[in-house]
Parts: sequence; C-alpha cells; structure tokens
Amino acid sequence: MNALAAVGEALVLIGTFFYFLSALGLIRMPDVYNRMQTATKSATLGSLGVIVGVGIWALGTDFGSAAWLTKTIVIAVFLLLTNPISAHALIRAAYKSGIPLWEGSVMDKYREHMEAKAKAAEAPEVETPEETPKEGGEE
Amino acid sequence: MLKRALAIITLLIIGYWLAQGLAGVPFGEDRMLVGQYYLDHVKEQTGAVNAVTAVVVNYRGFDTLGEVTVLFIASTGVGALLWRRKKERTAKTEGSIVLTTGTRLLVPFVMLFGAYIFIHGHLTPGGGFPGGATIATAFLLLYMAFIVYEIPHKAFEKVEGAVGMTYVIVGLIGLAIGGYFLYDWIWQDWQWGAENIGRLFSGGFIPVIYTIIGLKVGTELSGIIDNMVKEEVSE
Repeated sequence: MNALAAVGEALVLIGTFFYFLSALGLIRMPDVYNRMQTATKSATLGSLGVIVGVGIWALGTDFGSAAWLTKTIVIAVFLLLTNPISAHALIRAAYKSGIPLWEGSVMDKYREHMEAKAKAAEAPEVETPEETPKEGGEE
Repeated sequence: MLKRALAIITLLIIGYWLAQGLAGVPFGEDRMLVGQYYLDHVKEQTGAVNAVTAVVVNYRGFDTLGEVTVLFIASTGVGALLWRRKKERTAKTEGSIVLTTGTRLLVPFVMLFGAYIFIHGHLTPGGGFPGGATIATAFLLLYMAFIVYEIPHKAFEKVEGAVGMTYVIVGLIGLAIGGYFLYDWIWQDWQWGAENIGRLFSGGFIPVIYTIIGLKVGTELSGIIDNMVKEEVSE
C-alpha cells in the first residue's frame, strides 16, 4: 500500500460514486432530456475516474507496470471523445421524433428557431439572405 | 392468453429438462481431456501465446475456414435477396455537425484499432473476426453519419475474393509442404520467429491467417451494411 495505490483507490471510489449518482438520476429525472443529462455527464466522469484510477492503482502494486496506465488512458480518452457524441445523437433523435419536453420547461428556443426557418422557407419572396438579422430580432 | 400460457409451460418443461441434464455435469472441476494437451503444447507447436487463436487457426483450422465460408455465404445471400436493378441511398437527413465531425475524427482510430486486434491475434484476446467486425463498424459509422457515403465497391469486392482465396492458398501450400491441409509451414518447417515467442513476429501463420480473415470479415460485413442500407428507387 503506497501513495499511488491510495490515489488509485480514491479515484475508483469517486468514479463509482458518480456511477451511483448517474443511476439515481436516471430514476429521479422527469423526462428524456434530463435523464440523458445525468446519464451522460456523471457516467462519463465516473468511467474516467474508475478507468484511470485502475491504471494508477496498478502502478502502485507490485505486479503493475506502465502498460496498464497507458491502456487505461487510451480507453479513457476514447470514452471522453465518444460518449458526448453518442449522447448528442440520441438527444437529437429524441427531439426530432417528437418526444415532448418536461411539462415544467419554460423555454424551447430550438422549436422557435425551426419554426422561423420553416416560415422563411415558405415565404421565399422576402429574399433569403436576410436570415441572420431576423433571428437576432426574435431573440 | 391460452397460447401464451401454453408457450410458458412448454418452455418451463424444456428448461427443467435441460437443467436436469446439466445437473449431472460437475462444474468447477478439472474436466480437461484434450484441453490440457493444448495448454501444455501450444507454445512449442504453434509459437502462439494465445491458446484460443492457436486452437482456432492451427489445431482446428477447418472450423475457421467453415466460419469464413458461412460469412461469405451470408454476405452473398443478403446481396442476392436484396438485389435490385437500381439501388441508391435514400437517407434524408445528414447527421448533425457534431456527429459528422466526430465520425471524421474517429473513423481512422476505429480502423487502426481493428487492424491492431487482428494483427495481434496470437498475443492478445481477439483475432480476425472481432478485428474485422471493428473495421466494419467504422464503415457503419460513415454510413450513419453521411447521407451520400458509399463503400468503394470495386476495391471491396476484389479484396474480399482475393483474401478468401489467399486463405485457401496458404492451406494448400501447407498441403504441398507438410502433407495435410492448413499445415503450419511457417512455424513447423521454417521455425520463423522461434526465438521470440510472445512478441509480434512469432506465432507461425496465425498472424497471416488472421490478417486475411480480418480483411475478409471487414469487407464482408461492410458489404452487408451497404446492401441493407440502400433502397430501391423508381426512375
């Protein structure tokens, strides 16, 4: 038991705690978008903690080598890059297939933006290059 | 309701019957009849440290050839079933900018990792089939993110056929040199890489075969994706 192993164990503990929070959020949150929020962010952070923590933990033990840490860092970077993209694609697909927001939501700027775009497409005689100031005026 | 109840009862009976059969098998005990032989001799007989790929490619190479054939038939069958005179991609929406940029960034790494898996088949878990599937995943990513992407058909079909043939040719060379099909001539006769077992340049013809299988599986699964994603268009 040395400092590296202790750091690794602490990281793994923090990671599992965030995993727990993420699972809790999945149960507690009201709609799809809020659930994706908790699941993505805390699960990504939790995985990073656990994965890198295992690498550092292995460095501190007698069988460990730098190969462990290298592999875990590669996996962590891959997760860090891909998890937000998949969450983004999932949420976008959910929105496009018409899943409603939570009834307590107060604002849906994206729908306003899409409706303004559709209106602009319906009335082409207003000359399309004036698109940007119109959006600015709405906000 | 009656149908469902009958199905559940039948499944329960079958499950009980299977459990009765399995109850006679002692789990957790030493049941290795052939397995011990493999574990004891895998290093000096094949040069690989991964016993699974050594068994799959060397000891029981016919199985692997059969599996490759099954995949090839599946790919050909999908192609034949979904054959149309004119097929195009009819996807309507491009993936969002995040998705397309992410795909552009990730595809080379996914392909690199797939190649890593099948090249290191004799050292690490994996081999030709997982590596090929990983490479096909990269092409699936491209198909999902871009509405106009298509695999380069000419190159893909040629590679698929050529590597399938190379597998058989490697086996036939073994037949000519050693007397039986899929004889590991690189290891048994040349002793190539005998002094560095456990490193990259070892393992007899396992890396060669797995490179072939990886390319074949990758191109085949990509071809299946291509066939299934495209739709018929009327003129």
